[in-house]
Amino acid sequence: MKTQHIGVFIEQRGGILHDVGLELLGKARELAEVSKGTVSAFLLGRDISARSDDLIAQGADTVLLADSPVLEPYRLLPYTSVLAQACETYDPDILLFGATRMGVELAPRLAARLKTGLSAHCMDLRLDTEGKLLQMVPGWGGGVVATIRCPDHRPQMATVMPGVMKKLVPTERSGECIHLSVREDLHRFGPKVLEVHIEEPKEMPLEKADVVVAGGWGIGNPEGWAILEDLAALLCGAVGATRPPVDEGWVPESRMIGQSGKTVKPRLYMGIGISGMSHHVVGMDESDCIVAVNTNPNAAIFEVSDVAVVGDYREILPPLLKEIRTRLPKGRTDTCEPPQ
Amino acid sequence: MDFLLSQREELLRKSVREFAEAEIPPKIEAMEKTGEFPTELLEPMARLGITGIIAPLEYGGVGLGYLARTIALEELGRVCAAIPMGMQVHHMAIAALNDFGTDEQKQKYIPPLAKGDTMGVVAVTEPSGGSDVVGMQATAELKEDKWILNGRKCFITNSHTSDFWIVIAKTAEGAKGLSAFIVEKNHPGAKTGRVEHKIGLRGANTGELVFDNCEIPKENILGQEGGGLAVALKTVSESGRTGMAATALGIINACLEEAARFASERVLYGKPISSLQAISFYLAEIYTELDICRLLCYRASWMKDQNMRCDTENAMAKSYTCDAAVRCARKAVEIHGAYGILQEYKVQRLLRDAMVTVPAGGTGEIGKVVLARAALAPYRKKK
Amino acid sequence: MKRMIVCVKPVPDPNAWDRLQMDPVSKTLIREGIPSVINPLDKHAVEAALKMKDLFGAEVILLSMAPVDAQPVLREVLAMGADRAVLLSDKAFAGSDTLATARILAQGIRNIGEFDLIFCGNFTLDGSTAQVPSQVAEFLDIPNVMHVCDMDILKTESLLLTQKIEQGTVKLEAEPPLLLSFTKEANKPRYISFMEILAAEKREIHIWDNAILNIDETLIGLKGSPTQMADLLLQPKQRKGIRLTGNPEEIARELADKIHQLGII
Repeated sequence: MKTQHIGVFIEQRGGILHDVGLELLGKARELAEVSKGTVSAFLLGRDISARSDDLIAQGADTVLLADSPVLEPYRLLPYTSVLAQACETYDPDILLFGATRMGVELAPRLAARLKTGLSAHCMDLRLDTEGKLLQMVPGWGGGVVATIRCPDHRPQMATVMPGVMKKLVPTERSGECIHLSVREDLHRFGPKVLEVHIEEPKEMPLEKADVVVAGGWGIGNPEGWAILEDLAALLCGAVGATRPPVDEGWVPESRMIGQSGKTVKPRLYMGIGISGMSHHVVGMDESDCIVAVNTNPNAAIFEVSDVAVVGDYREILPPLLKEIRTRLPKGRTDTCEPPQ
Repeated sequence: MDFLLSQREELLRKSVREFAEAEIPPKIEAMEKTGEFPTELLEPMARLGITGIIAPLEYGGVGLGYLARTIALEELGRVCAAIPMGMQVHHMAIAALNDFGTDEQKQKYIPPLAKGDTMGVVAVTEPSGGSDVVGMQATAELKEDKWILNGRKCFITNSHTSDFWIVIAKTAEGAKGLSAFIVEKNHPGAKTGRVEHKIGLRGANTGELVFDNCEIPKENILGQEGGGLAVALKTVSESGRTGMAATALGIINACLEEAARFASERVLYGKPISSLQAISFYLAEIYTELDICRLLCYRASWMKDQNMRCDTENAMAKSYTCDAAVRCARKAVEIHGAYGILQEYKVQRLLRDAMVTVPAGGTGEIGKVVLARAALAPYRKKK
Repeated sequence: MKRMIVCVKPVPDPNAWDRLQMDPVSKTLIREGIPSVINPLDKHAVEAALKMKDLFGAEVILLSMAPVDAQPVLREVLAMGADRAVLLSDKAFAGSDTLATARILAQGIRNIGEFDLIFCGNFTLDGSTAQVPSQVAEFLDIPNVMHVCDMDILKTESLLLTQKIEQGTVKLEAEPPLLLSFTKEANKPRYISFMEILAAEKREIHIWDNAILNIDETLIGLKGSPTQMADLLLQPKQRKGIRLTGNPEEIARELADKIHQLGII
């Protein structure tokens, strides 16, 4: 197998590194071990050289650093220019980007400039026996998985959704930081950024929520709802319910999901203490991922779930909230971002 | 015979369906509660081309035919039949003006209807009877250069949302004694009366028009004096019956979709109830009725577009489709079991709406009188 | 603002996706019997262009790379109010990845001539790569902005754009020529009116093949695509019902991992 030089674009805004870059460093490290190759982190911004140590600790052998006032805030054309120049000089075999708003705009432009191949939203990356990259890509709403190769063009580029790969635990590692020269006239290229505006997350209507946490009769009492609301708030989701809690007055009718209530299709649906009668299930069975928690191992809801937890929500949810909090990006108290 | 719709007609259907699915459901709750027509929908419907679909281009209309109109009304009816009920009477007024109006009358009254500025009304029915048209009691007398109208009209669709009404009244005795008039709501002596609270098609405004020595200008007679019966019969037959039929057709479509969806989801004895033959046979029956009624409605509209005489076909489409809508709605309700009679489920509204299409725009019995006449025509004894 | 070009793509109707089948030999999806619709986000791009037509009388041209049977779908989009359509269609284009597709679209745009703005939908429902807009812009050597959720005209030539990013928005000022991709928040696409359906029947759909575009054959189709498909697996959506076991802390950890993998954290 030929040794692979694997590059990772380290996304940052305002000096804060996006987790996806660190996750991709973890994957790059794994691929480098397999091919006895090296990992380079490509970091662009202003006054960010201090971050190179973190990148080395999390898997980079080399940090290719472009630090210049013209690179803050992010702008598509200056970033494309710097990265294209760096690729021509340092010649990575593979170059990985997060499939974020920034990555989705930047990676394709760079791929076109370098006249190379790019695959999007990879769910897995592997090397074949020659060391060439195999990119697993879902399609048709997840109904199809394609394996993509880019045999003859370099770098082989891929974008990966945040959360798919795993960050490495920082360790003592050695590496070098190379400063790239940056043209000062880059600010002339492309649209001007007037303002970057970070928003307060808004109250999420049930039908639009990416995450729905729904409770049923199994919650037992109105006090039990508090933890569902905490979980929903933490995941930036909305709280739903089946009919019995509505009839009992624990939640307003506007939260009811089902045949005579609302239909939801979130990325994640969590049904807590819900038996899974068809009236309710028809209102949520097109959710991307269904997780159910119920004390009854034969509950009907388990037949339509992707993940089944037989247990008491009072025992499962508190440690779950703790685990989720430890996985949140630094400085965040919830996962909220405006819906796509 | 070509039974396929053209790409134009398919695109028309798609356009109305998209509009209806997005814009009408948010209005339904208020319509059911108040019985009022959501007049705020007139402007987007005008922009789409629904209000002026059969009006000539020179009066601000789209200039399309009756098949296009049937498809548009059917798609509106699939979402909420009260909307096409209001629209089809609106089209009746446009048709009456177009068929019988002077150039001045057409220039003045068709554009506001085509553009959805106001809704159209054709007022024939009275407490003395709707089927018995010649027996009407409202009178119109020419005094100097004004017509003086007296009487009341009831069960009039769009009564309270219209700026002017086409009214049939007696100017002399007998079948040649009826005349048609254009009455503006601001004409002295004209007013709206009570509003009716129907069990179905709630949101199609139905009410009374009252004429108390109502004075209208001489030139507001529509068509010939004594030609009012022809105005009423032609408008009801060609526009009213097909409009009601298209409305009921939309209801049947909704019945099929609601019943089939519910039967596929509702699980009893470990399987969806659609796997039970009795239920699946009901669905087969509704599916067939939908196709039969579509063929009747489209054929009648097609004939009108070819300028063929089609009173029999119009009567057949109306009486059969409205009856079929009730049959299909009942089956759809029964397929839902106990849920079918709960107010929060859509299917009970389909049954109430279907029931109201039966007497509206001409009773089924009068329709059958027309059909019987056609059936017996070859055997009528020659004098 | 005289001419807007909108890139549109017919995609298989998402309501029919569960009927998709795969040819096990050629490893391609069988598209017959699956109706095509216009990619939903493209309607927002068309609406943005039509707004420019309403304001400035700009010409709106639709551009699509698709088989010739895409004409009915283009006719539908013409009925939104666009002036004409250009359909790039040639057997040699088949098998193009996003890079080759972008080359073809860029050449189509060069053939159309001068333009002020190019509009696209942010991504398509079928490929969902969202790569083509940036790549077309790169080949035309013009700037592009993705994730546009609002657009205002400042003076006649200057645009104020709002771009959606994860935690908020970015406001940018830009001048034509420019390529923009729109999100669904950008506008509400107008309904197709009956008058436009009738008018669209007379609007032209020009069909251009590679004899007209004249792109080097090694740069298009399979030959011109750096990425290739090595394998394709149908993965029917089945709920696996994976049971998590262990004590509550262990279950919580596994569950949190799964939620993280979904990209929610």
